Amino acid sequence: MRVVAKPIDVIAKFNKEGIPTPIKFKITGEDEAEVTIKVERVITRDLEKLAGNKMFVFRCQSVINGGEKIYELKYGLETCKWMLFKI
Amino acid sequence: MKQNRIIFHIDVNSAYLSWEAVYRLQNGASLDLRTIPSAVGGDPKSRHGIILAKSIPAKQYNIQTGETLHTALQKCPNLHIVSPSYGLYMQCSDAMMKLLEEYSPVIQRFSVDEVFLDYTDMEGHWGDPIAMAHKIKDRIKEELGFTVSIGISSNKLLAKMGSDLKKPDAVTTVFPEEIARKIWPLPVEDLFYVGRATLPKLNKMGIYTIGDLANYDYEHIKYRLKSHGALIWNYSHGQEASPVRGGKHVDIKGIGNSSTIAFDVEDRITACRILLALTETVAMRLRHTENVCGLVAISLRDSELRNYSHQRKLFSPTDCTKEIFEIVTELFDEAWKGEPLRNLGVRVSELSSNELQQKSLFDDVDQERNRALDHAIDQLRLRYGSKAIMKATFLNSGVKSMIGGVGADDYPMMASLL
Ligand SMILES: [Mg+2]
Repeated sequence: MRVVAKPIDVIAKFNKEGIPTPIKFKITGEDEAEVTIKVERVITRDLEKLAGNKMFVFRCQSVINGGEKIYELKYGLETCKWMLFKI
Repeated sequence: MKQNRIIFHIDVNSAYLSWEAVYRLQNGASLDLRTIPSAVGGDPKSRHGIILAKSIPAKQYNIQTGETLHTALQKCPNLHIVSPSYGLYMQCSDAMMKLLEEYSPVIQRFSVDEVFLDYTDMEGHWGDPIAMAHKIKDRIKEELGFTVSIGISSNKLLAKMGSDLKKPDAVTTVFPEEIARKIWPLPVEDLFYVGRATLPKLNKMGIYTIGDLANYDYEHIKYRLKSHGALIWNYSHGQEASPVRGGKHVDIKGIGNSSTIAFDVEDRITACRILLALTETVAMRLRHTENVCGLVAISLRDSELRNYSHQRKLFSPTDCTKEIFEIVTELFDEAWKGEPLRNLGVRVSELSSNELQQKSLFDDVDQERNRALDHAIDQLRLRYGSKAIMKATFLNSGVKSMIGGVGADDYPMMASLL
């Protein structure tokens, strides 16, 4: 995996404790085309507090371009923004 | 006070720079600022301002804290410079405080990147202090992403000297029996309160190391340097007994900002706008320390470089921007003689905790509303930057809405924040 840190549109569900789980996300590819990716499995969820900045880090798995891919999504509790962090 | 205290001094290594680096990495930066010649300070675009912090690779170019960006860039043209972000540093400092609070109820934020922690009587709870200091250091590195140096001793002075002995990412003890070995070989100017004025006097007496001072005759040094001599002699023996002050108590006498203006200020409106911009920052910093002030002062310097100042004691202490600015304008109107000004300053002092203040809050509806307003504005600025919200008077005025605070041009604001 390498760091890409791309902002993404996300559909997520939040439970009663306020913890989100990503369901699918939309990313703009290099050719400006939008791709929607369904999050098939959330493998781990961690709360990161680096620099005192809280972010949920989700390690996920999806089939992308016909192959299984592992990648990381991040959600900033302060900014309420999602990004595809690593793929 | 207890005979055998155990005090930790926790000091963040290259604080602003590490904090900027960690935050950037967390948000996907490909570069770790700590690994390249880099610095925090001023405005990299306009190349104005001064260096507030530098990376270890930048030290190899002899970049000095406090020098102008201009000079620094001459020494190292590829120096990577980032503007300071006040909100981020407070967030990092707060996160570290929160983690440390788990280990002792008695902790004191000495500055934005330095904390004293009283570990006395905690051994039963948490075990050996040295092992615990390692655990704390490693947790900060792991969870918050930056390194600290921890000094351990029986008082604050020695703990602080200890954290300075080994950096980065280290734990060092300086117990009284270790002073002669670890502290005495250091140059005497490394000792607290041995400043630029005292050093030549000591050198003239043949005192060059802390050990020289410690072994000098006490009566003689007291005779030569009076009470200050007695103080530093005691320090050289590691004698210091101040308590770790818990809560939000801060070791500051006052908070101030001043700004040198690039042009002559000749009219009252412009002068007041500059004073308001200074007040905005000073009041915000005051509120962050959870203190109120009992004294407000202004300082003016005219184009002939004559300085004067004027101050007023308040009937009831405050931390409200509006109230402080009202006094600032009164002081200005009383003091200004109408001549062109080149430098204006605002300072608040006689600080006390705002805890009692909050109880009387409901006495005055206006005060309550002002407090809520200040709070809302502070939050907006911490989150979205100093320009997120400004008083309308600054629109098209050519005067910045906050001076000396976020992304300060000419002041290392965090140095005096706490
Ligand atoms: Mg430090």
